[in-house]
Amino acid sequence: MIQKKICMVGAFAVGKTSLVTRFVKSIFSEKYLTTVGVKIDKKEVRLGDAEVTLVLWDIAGEDNLTQMRMSYLRGASGYLLVVDGTRPGTLETAITLQKKVDEFFGKEIPFVLLLNKRDLADIWGLADETVGALVERHWTVMETSAKTGQGVEEAFLALTRMIVGASGTAMSTGERHIGIVCDP
Amino acid sequence: MNDKHTQDKPNEAPHDSASEDKLAEIRQLIVGPERARLASLEERLDNPKLLARDISGILPEAVVLRSSQDKKFATALTPTLEEVIRSSIKRDPKTLVSALFPVMGPAIRKAITETLRGMLQSLNQALEKSLSVDGLKWRLEAMRTGKSFGEVVLLHNLAYRVEQVFLIHRETGLLLQHVVGAEIAFQDADMVSGMLTAIQDFIRDSFGVESENVIESIQIGEFTVWVTQGPELVLAAAIRGTAPEELKLVFQETLENIHLEQSRTLESFDGDTAPFEGSRHHIEACLQTRYKEKKQKTSPLLWVVLAVLLVSLGAWGFFSVRNHLLWADYLEKIAAQRGIVVTETGKRDGRYFIAGFRDPLAVDPSTLLGASKLDPEKVQSRWESYYSLHPEFVIARARNVLNPPETVSLELQDTVLHAAGSAPHRWIEEVRSLVHVIPGIAGFRDEDLVDTDMQTLAASKKWIEEHNLFFPEGAAGLVAGQDDTVRALAKEIRTLQDRARLLGKGFSVEIKGHTDRSGSEEYNLVLSRERADFVRSVLVAEGLGGISMKTVGAGHSEPLREEVTVQDRESNRRVSFNIILTDASPPEGDGP
Repeated sequence: MIQKKICMVGAFAVGKTSLVTRFVKSIFSEKYLTTVGVKIDKKEVRLGDAEVTLVLWDIAGEDNLTQMRMSYLRGASGYLLVVDGTRPGTLETAITLQKKVDEFFGKEIPFVLLLNKRDLADIWGLADETVGALVERHWTVMETSAKTGQGVEEAFLALTRMIVGASGTAMSTGERHIGIVCDP
Repeated sequence: MNDKHTQDKPNEAPHDSASEDKLAEIRQLIVGPERARLASLEERLDNPKLLARDISGILPEAVVLRSSQDKKFATALTPTLEEVIRSSIKRDPKTLVSALFPVMGPAIRKAITETLRGMLQSLNQALEKSLSVDGLKWRLEAMRTGKSFGEVVLLHNLAYRVEQVFLIHRETGLLLQHVVGAEIAFQDADMVSGMLTAIQDFIRDSFGVESENVIESIQIGEFTVWVTQGPELVLAAAIRGTAPEELKLVFQETLENIHLEQSRTLESFDGDTAPFEGSRHHIEACLQTRYKEKKQKTSPLLWVVLAVLLVSLGAWGFFSVRNHLLWADYLEKIAAQRGIVVTETGKRDGRYFIAGFRDPLAVDPSTLLGASKLDPEKVQSRWESYYSLHPEFVIARARNVLNPPETVSLELQDTVLHAAGSAPHRWIEEVRSLVHVIPGIAGFRDEDLVDTDMQTLAASKKWIEEHNLFFPEGAAGLVAGQDDTVRALAKEIRTLQDRARLLGKGFSVEIKGHTDRSGSEEYNLVLSRERADFVRSVLVAEGLGGISMKTVGAGHSEPLREEVTVQDRESNRRVSFNIILTDASPPEGDGP
């Protein structure tokens, strides 16, 4: 059985916890996030015939006051970088965080950028060209909504594919490059 | 045989070589194939390699065939097999151990689990009926926690039990292996493993601990998590109870063994946990359980309780016996008292009680109680008053009522009170009227009692009667120098008058004149009468006018002395006094 540690990384209140709460198996209360700064959840993903267990480290979000505990990233195979689509500032944070993570690992590790809260289309605050620039940098970008469930399963699946592919484990490589999912 | 045949040919050759060749050719044609087959058969029979190959083809079937017929094959094989095993162990025990390990581990565990389950059941049954304090307490706990009663009992008898062991990949926190003891509830081990790692990180970050150091144990009440750290792996053991330090060594060794076995896998670890299945037996060996040894010696608390019980029992016994003895002693003393009649004794509501009659003059029971060392609070007394007719009490009562002067002694003979000694007249009179109302006295006798007032009266009388007043020869006037005597006489007569009045007596004073023998009898009678009258007048002058005084002339008929000398005659010229007492008071103002 394959297990992978992945992290949920993002600014404060971008919906990391909501993303995992609805789609994963959880035994710990959210209290852990504010106390220990991390909450562990589990998500099982099927990739073809293989079953991959994702051990999710939902790391407390970063804001002006709180720094993210980088040590929780240790040993992670990949991460979901979450942005609140209604707050453009969180994208800035995400970009900074991505750099910090790369610095921490000393290399680029697989990640998927999630533009969350897509259900709030009315107050959507991300310009297409901003997102487009990231896509050009070969970032994998997906729009999600923890509320409607849009894109969530796909996001976990996409990240798993990237990780399994990157680690060189024999997998069908046809889906190695994830299509950039953007709402039309 | 082949050689034999070829040698045959030259031996036949000398007879006819050509025909021989033909014959050989024919023979070859006729028996050639058979010969070849024969040769091949011989070869197969003679060549051990071929023979072995042949037998190997039929051996399994042969074994099956024979085994189904009887057990000879197994019997024949047993010593060999034993020898084989013995030599295998001798050469390298590990081979056999690793071959057997996967079988033995589960077999042993299964056996233990079965035994444990059986034990739980029997415990359940045994304890179901027991109603000890612990039993009740544990039953409540079982209800509260939802565990079976037997399990609760077992937990309380558990020294320690390693309930879960996690083998964790140190860097990622991923769970590689997880074993759980039988019948233990557990959470999703993958997440627990991650959280354990996260908490380690959290503590290291929060308290600035060097990253090499790790938490070695987390303790919550009776539950401990021991974390053993290796270079790549972490072994976390969840233990209930108090595990000995030696157990840490076991964990350490286990971790070392796994590191050794899995060093290749760990080098290229990418999340595949399957290879660690091979190390499972190591971890399973960590699931150790130990029960508390049955305490042979009794708990010191029990001794204390016993001692306290014994002491209190002893004290209670001592005090109870002591109280009982004191009570009996008190009763005996009370019963010995005069003037106290006990009618009822006993014990009621933890208190002694006593009831009866008591003469007011008898000893106060409370003073006896005070002297008895009994707790007065523990004794209830009810005394009714009564008059004891015991002589002692009758006398005492008489004394109380009559208040006799010290000069009087009282004695009771039968029911008659005898008084002796001396007492004033008034007291004697009082006693005579009082004595009959005193309970227990039927009569009063005072023959031996002297009336002191009567005595003094008699003394006054005597004193007066002993005194004389003297006269010169032939004259009725007093010899000079007798004024004091006159005054003393007058005073004494007055005293006598008081005493007589007190006693209710009357009296009169007889003043008798005397002469000496000189002169005639007639003259002397007249003179003597004159002398008496003179003294009377003197006494009246002294204030005794109210007293009845009679004058008598005795002449020389009652001389004081025989007249031999002048002094004798002087003595006889006198006036003497005589007091006459009467029972009735004299009429007042009895004039001369």
